[in-house]
Amino acid sequence: MIKIQKKDFNIEQEIKLLKDKYSNVGAVISFIGFVRDINNKKDVKYIELEVYEKMAIKELSKIKDNAVKKFDLVDCLIVHRYGRLDVNDRIVLVVCFSEHRNNSFEACKFIMDYLKKDVPFWKKEIYFKGSDWLENTN
Amino acid sequence: MKIKYFAWIKDITNKEFEIIARNHPKNIEELKIVLKKNYPDLEKHLDQDVLRFAINLEYTFENQNLNSNDEIAIFPPVSGG
Repeated sequence: MIKIQKKDFNIEQEIKLLKDKYSNVGAVISFIGFVRDINNKKDVKYIELEVYEKMAIKELSKIKDNAVKKFDLVDCLIVHRYGRLDVNDRIVLVVCFSEHRNNSFEACKFIMDYLKKDVPFWKKEIYFKGSDWLENTN
Repeated sequence: MKIKYFAWIKDITNKEFEIIARNHPKNIEELKIVLKKNYPDLEKHLDQDVLRFAINLEYTFENQNLNSNDEIAIFPPVSGG
């Protein structure tokens, strides 16, 4: 399942929603990305996240399908927010469901690596003085 | 043909998108020439090859041909997650 939304997400509810569908899931691994207060030695006030939504859904779906196939996942959930996000706000949630733990651990990293490389989101950090558009480096 | 701009590209073009109704560029290289003419501040970024192009929601890495009903997106490297 792929979700792109402005509003925050409830991790427990999101996981339960999918987990309840499967009795063969023995491992659920999640990754949550947050807005940090300091980046590149600058005090972050808040961030603006821009998205090319139609393409982001398409790219996330491709990554999810690849991960399910490569790591034999039972299912997978990706939620990514956009708009204004303050320090400590959640940005992204990736949850992988598999029979055994290693598949989901590896799949979470795989999904985040490709998400940061290919999915059309852009972060603008607003500092107490000025602002910068960011670029993912790894 | 619809051209969409994102992130700091928008700050240079001062618009989120534009429609080219007639005499549209035939391929990505022709589009780059049009962009450089209309937005001189984009030139160095286009020459440095840092921008990414997508045609109808798919990345393109070559001089792909363009059609009148295409949606082309131009954007800097992504920074989600």
